[in-house]
Amino acid sequence: MLSRVANLTYWMARYLERAENSARILDVNTQLALESSMGVVNDARLWEPIIFALGDETIFKELYSETSERTVAEFVLFNPKNPNSVLSCINLARENARCIRDQISSDAWEQLNRLYLQMRGKTVADYRQTGTVEFLGRLRKSIQLFYGIAASMFPRNDAWQFYELGRFLERADNSSRLIDVKYFTLLPTVQAVGSTLDALQWGAVLRSCSAFEAFRKSRRGLINAERVLDYLILDEFFPRSIRFSIITAEESVRRITRDSDHHYSNAPSRSLGRLRADLDYLLIGDIVKFGLHEWIDQLQLSIARVHTDIESAFIDYDVERARILG
Amino acid sequence: MSELFSTYALDRFYDEMFAGPETPRAHYERVYERLAAMSREELAAKQDLADQTFLWRGVTFTVYSDNQGTERIFPFDLIPRIIPAREWDTLERGLTQRMTALNLFLQDIYHEQRIVKEGRIPREMIESSKHFRPEMIGFRPPRDLYVHINGTDMIRDEAGGYFVLEDNLRSPSGVSYVLENRQVLKRVFPNLMASCPVRPVEQYTHDLLNTLMHLAPEHVPEPNVVLLTPGVYNSAYFEHSFLARQMGIEIVEGSDLIVRDDRVFVRTTRGLSPVHVIYRRIDDDFLDPTVFRKDSLLGVPGLVNAYRKGNVALCNPIGTGVADDKATYYYVPEMIRFYLGEEPILPNVETYLSADPKDMTFILENLPKLVVKSVNEAGGYGMLVGPHSTKEQIEEFRAKVIANPRNFVAQPTIGLSTCPAVCEGRIEPRHIDLRPYILNGSSIRIMPGGLTRVALRRGSLVVNSSQGGGSKDTWVLSDDIARTQAQNQAQTDKIIL
Repeated sequence: MLSRVANLTYWMARYLERAENSARILDVNTQLALESSMGVVNDARLWEPIIFALGDETIFKELYSETSERTVAEFVLFNPKNPNSVLSCINLARENARCIRDQISSDAWEQLNRLYLQMRGKTVADYRQTGTVEFLGRLRKSIQLFYGIAASMFPRNDAWQFYELGRFLERADNSSRLIDVKYFTLLPTVQAVGSTLDALQWGAVLRSCSAFEAFRKSRRGLINAERVLDYLILDEFFPRSIRFSIITAEESVRRITRDSDHHYSNAPSRSLGRLRADLDYLLIGDIVKFGLHEWIDQLQLSIARVHTDIESAFIDYDVERARILG
Repeated sequence: MSELFSTYALDRFYDEMFAGPETPRAHYERVYERLAAMSREELAAKQDLADQTFLWRGVTFTVYSDNQGTERIFPFDLIPRIIPAREWDTLERGLTQRMTALNLFLQDIYHEQRIVKEGRIPREMIESSKHFRPEMIGFRPPRDLYVHINGTDMIRDEAGGYFVLEDNLRSPSGVSYVLENRQVLKRVFPNLMASCPVRPVEQYTHDLLNTLMHLAPEHVPEPNVVLLTPGVYNSAYFEHSFLARQMGIEIVEGSDLIVRDDRVFVRTTRGLSPVHVIYRRIDDDFLDPTVFRKDSLLGVPGLVNAYRKGNVALCNPIGTGVADDKATYYYVPEMIRFYLGEEPILPNVETYLSADPKDMTFILENLPKLVVKSVNEAGGYGMLVGPHSTKEQIEEFRAKVIANPRNFVAQPTIGLSTCPAVCEGRIEPRHIDLRPYILNGSSIRIMPGGLTRVALRRGSLVVNSSQGGGSKDTWVLSDDIARTQAQNQAQTDKIIL
């Protein structure tokens, strides 16, 4: 497929996934804030974790002088000056889709266009009036409707593989940020680690990943930090876990490069293979010992490296040295 | 008289639906009955559904002048324009004749130039045309085809006669709206359409793909056809992606293409893949910065050489534009006589060339009555509609015409035919034109119908989308016998709208 089209497809998927995850990150924080027993929901300390987890402190500070529910929600959902806001991501995804309308099915395009029209002109006032749960729920459903149409309509060609690759790389990164929100969330006391409140908060994290019931069924046990992290980071079967996302991304790269098992023909297959192998052999205890937040930082760097490798292998390669086909 | 038509006032113009007050023409009876039975609410609901559908589907065009949300839907009017079978037969024969002559003209102009040598067209008329490409003299494009697609603008005068207003031989746009309009109308009026023998239009993209494949170099068994667009910000981008999607070909930008050893390649995720036919929606000027405009970033360096070597085909060929210059247009009837030895089936609108001293005198004396057009502009730009202009505008044009006579032509103001359109909840007459699309490949094929544009502002004669125009679905009826049968059928079992 055309390099430009591959790039647009890959980014369309990333932007949509990012929009969905930003909504989830806002959702988890709202849940944590409600259950914090710190009294005032508008306490800045309750909303800072989102900004830290997203790594957007600098741009946030440029745009707002105070950290509150309103400013954070506006920043995450609607602010067009925040390139990662849900609105920006949906606009960009739709703009990319418009460039590749000849590649995606009419139904998929129409759904994405409707999503764009649904979000256009919305403000934080609409968000509050509709109610946070309802607003974010509708938003997620609209995005997932697109995924559903795509999954049942897109031929499983290279375009699909680039779409999956973008989606799952972004998801791996975003799931790690979602976990990080909890890391940054203060418990009232050090003793509270492992308390009922702590368990409640981890439950909220699971719910924001739509993982609560799946977790209960799969792990049958109590909710505590280590068990939840094990599930969200290392589970092989849960579609929002980091390991699952990396396995899926690796499969897509293999299909794009036509690599067989134990054969890694180029940089993205190697860097993704290494990352996947790491996750295959890691134990959650290792991560905790290393330091959860530090481990997440490293993971995000590895994902960024995979991205660079994808760009230079398929998109921005040197034309002078390129292969000439049939 | 129904509520919806209660303010429908016939004027001196030819009306597509009505032969006289409350007397619909035979081929419009069914549609008239349906509309007459409707309430204002129903009509408004249908119009809403149509508008919503266009918005959801993202059927839009880009407006450059507007820096706020630059995409707009092309206003769609619900009431179809209907052309009876026999009328269409004449149009089809006339358009085929015209297309044949234009192709022969281009072939001649880039080789022997007989028509010039025999004094039928002045040489300076050709050589001064902005789109004449001396670089192409002696070059033979694939299959000797010089024009592959034509969008011929047609109008009807007050007596109902059809006239050719102009040809668009380079990148006639709008065909995607024809296809989308039909889709939407089917959704809005499913049963109404089922009760009329309307000829389908979907065949067009199939014919277009065949026309393009026909140009491929002979030794290539499975040619790779691509559509070259200036990019997503071009006003016709919707159409580019629509056509590419319908034909299943790649849409490419200049930066996707690379020329090596006079062959064209497209940059793919696996390497460079050869390209054999380019349906380009970029003007000659921007095609290849090594040959034409040096500052163009849209084109592909080296493309013209690859084309000259016959390694890649272009649709349309370079230099075709000399035949749709609004001054060259004047000579098309002469071309038909010269190359085909026939009389034109479809007449031109009477035209005056300001390059001709006699015509110039006439033009200057009659400016307030005439439409003056700049020969190279499109989209309703650079034109003067005398009767609707101020004294200042007229004087401004007088100076322009005198300064550069080759650049202008003038035509009488024609009272375009009217067709019922939905305006503020009622049905009123509005002026329309018609752009049929003609393809020229292994044979000439014409889509039944074309784009009917409608001037939605009361009294306006300007139908261009950039000037507040909209469009309608165009129905060509397959034959009148079938229509009568359908009508008889409908009388026995009442079809629900």
